[in-house]
Amino acid sequence: MSEFAGSVNDLVQQLGRLPGIGRKSAERLAFHLLRVPKAEALALSESIRRVRENIHYCADCFNLAEQTRCELCLDPGRNRTLLCVVEQPRDLMSLEQSAAYRGLYHVLLGRIAPLDGIGPDQLTIDALVDRVAGGGFQEVIMATNPTVEGDGTALYISNLLAEFPVKITRLARGITAGSVLEYANKEVLADAMTGRRQW
Amino acid sequence: MSTEQTEAIVLRMVEFSETSLIVTLYTRDLGRVSAIAKGARRPKSAFDGALDLLAVCRIVVICKTSDSLDLLTEAKLQRRFRAGQRSLVRLHCGYYLAELLRLWTDAGVASPPLYELALRTLAEIDGDQDALRAILRFELRGLQILGHFPALDECVSCGAAVDPPLVRVPFAYQLGGVLCAACRPRHREVGFVRKALFGLAKQLAGPDEADPELAAGDYRDLRATLSRYIQTQLGAVPRTQSLLPTAWVSH
Repeated sequence: MSEFAGSVNDLVQQLGRLPGIGRKSAERLAFHLLRVPKAEALALSESIRRVRENIHYCADCFNLAEQTRCELCLDPGRNRTLLCVVEQPRDLMSLEQSAAYRGLYHVLLGRIAPLDGIGPDQLTIDALVDRVAGGGFQEVIMATNPTVEGDGTALYISNLLAEFPVKITRLARGITAGSVLEYANKEVLADAMTGRRQW
Repeated sequence: MSTEQTEAIVLRMVEFSETSLIVTLYTRDLGRVSAIAKGARRPKSAFDGALDLLAVCRIVVICKTSDSLDLLTEAKLQRRFRAGQRSLVRLHCGYYLAELLRLWTDAGVASPPLYELALRTLAEIDGDQDALRAILRFELRGLQILGHFPALDECVSCGAAVDPPLVRVPFAYQLGGVLCAACRPRHREVGFVRKALFGLAKQLAGPDEADPELAAGDYRDLRATLSRYIQTQLGAVPRTQSLLPTAWVSH
């Protein structure tokens, strides 16, 4: 038998299903929602409802969007000759927060992972090739994660795009700024040496 | 509970909770290990980017005596698998090696020779050697280490010496070897394998000095025969086997 009233128990259970939230945290959040003004608690539920009903994937880049196209694709101030390929919308958000890039994006919605049964057909690679084939891009930046599967996905896509007149680049990797060579991992040093660029 | 230190190859990773991973490793001293790496996806974790597919690392693992997962507390990167940056063929060979090691081995059963073989094959795939040949050798030597190398000189059913004057010899995939003319009609899952492949297979599985020349047709036939043999022995088709080229390609 539960120690809370039925609806409180339901809320604790629902909150406990969120990533990173255990039973204790779920209880704390539930009691917080009971303590705050009713309007504030209902605003949260309304936000959840709206996001589930209105958010879908952008028809061009597969970022999260409220309309057919996302805000980034509709922004006239973006550089439309640059295309950055990322695995997930959250990777796009991280790059946007860096404020170092002002081009367009393409979200793959995953990575090629044959050991998990995920092949190229389950990603948005065909749409990416169509976009590049449509012309207008001068550079495609492969910003998939620097892992074996991320590299493999980038290589697979690079091979597909090789027939188009675009420059294909990969995010740099290597030593963290502010660190010292003496303590850097040898693999990180090897990456930095391989990816060195002209001063 | 005991704390163990050893060297390992990362075979598989599954995201668990917000920042943790469940990692399958093939270790030199503990065999196959599945462990939870808490906080592994945090930027400043004790794993320092070491947990990536096919990476070789020094690990510290707390082995649980109960059914619960072991706990990976530290991993120090020794060598990263980089083939994915330059060749899909090499990358696919790496995936296949990882899957085969996972399917071939049991939790907690160590085989240092198999570990050494895997390590060497990974280095060959990641280097400049012929990766497709390296995978053939890995499969054949691996089968030998595990005691599943097919019987090629005597009938796998009755034990009689088999050396027929035929170009293609009946081969029982299920039983694991060649069949004599008398036993052949009594068995199913029988294919006909080019006899010349047997010598090549034995040489590839043997010492390095016996490394034979492989013509394009030899690779194609050996690949097809070994793939089917391994499928039959495992009772399943490895997911990544279809990624291996059926004919030799430049890589």
